[in-house]
Amino acid sequence: MVKLAAILAVPLALLATVASLGVVVVDVREGGPDGHRIVVPVPLVLAQAALAVAPAVAEEELRVPDTGALEHIGVARGVLEAIAAAPDGELVRVEQPDEQVLVVKEGDALLVRVHGREGEDVSVRVPLRMALSALPDREGRVSTLALAGSLGAVRFTDLVEVHDGENHVRVWVW
Amino acid sequence: MRKSVLAAVGLAALVALPAVATPAETATPWIHVRVEEADKESRVHVNLPLSVVEAVLEATPEIIESHGKVNLGKHHGIKLEDVRRIWKELAAVGDAELVTVEEKDETVKVWRKGDRIHVRVEKAGKEEVRVEVPVSLVSAALAGSEEAINVKAALAELRTARGDIVQVNDGDSAVRIWIDEQNSQAR
Repeated sequence: MVKLAAILAVPLALLATVASLGVVVVDVREGGPDGHRIVVPVPLVLAQAALAVAPAVAEEELRVPDTGALEHIGVARGVLEAIAAAPDGELVRVEQPDEQVLVVKEGDALLVRVHGREGEDVSVRVPLRMALSALPDREGRVSTLALAGSLGAVRFTDLVEVHDGENHVRVWVW
Repeated sequence: MRKSVLAAVGLAALVALPAVATPAETATPWIHVRVEEADKESRVHVNLPLSVVEAVLEATPEIIESHGKVNLGKHHGIKLEDVRRIWKELAAVGDAELVTVEEKDETVKVWRKGDRIHVRVEKAGKEEVRVEVPVSLVSAALAGSEEAINVKAALAELRTARGDIVQVNDGDSAVRIWIDEQNSQAR
């Protein structure tokens, strides 16, 4: 009995450790309630480790090519920082007969909701800190280390939810 | 049937979105832009805290020089110093009709009333452009002595300005730009 408990304790402790450090969960449901369901849990620490070592493995691939957009990175950074410091509010609302788009600043995140003509609903929560971390510098280098660090700050957050009739995709950090 | 139910649910979700969708007073001035096209049943609302607009302007060195001024140069036909001189005269006049152009199908009027400069364009009753600019905003934009518009001073003035700035109605579409302290637009 003690032996069994000891054997079970190791994976359980490992599981508890991984869970306590956070998990990114990708949940895909196809074909309605009776369709396939795929759930992919990725330990946050694994994602962070992968991001941390990414530059050593693929430095060039992580560099954003300079197509002229890089000179505006400063503007994007300034805007994101100003939005982060601004009070909550509705930034954009587009209402058309077959499509609605809403962008709201809510706390430390931007919430984008789209309701499309086919009845699909897309909901994306962009944590502002993560968005700032994902911005490349003026040389086009993305700091994956900063991105990895920002992942830890978005725990217990729904990042993406897409609903298009019978299919449902949800990505959240637990 | 199912799609219409989904559409209804989606619309309801949008309408029922967070509490922030309800206009709420903030301590920050917000610039609101509303574009409505009746024939397309389209409405676009943009609301930006003034601090975000300032961030855009401050981070755009190609447009704004390091001292926060837009350089007009001399190739626009009129020197800024001449504009300043004319404005100085106009600002001292007080309430008055400044410009009236009446053509067959278009009327343009510019006048000052109180602390605002009004511009109105009417085209055979079809199109109407109405611009209301606070006198203090123009004065701030023209502050200084260089051949450049003082954007920083204008933005500082906008922080205290409230109310409509631009309204355009051409029958099919309507554009309105205004400043208040609400974090969204009443629908």
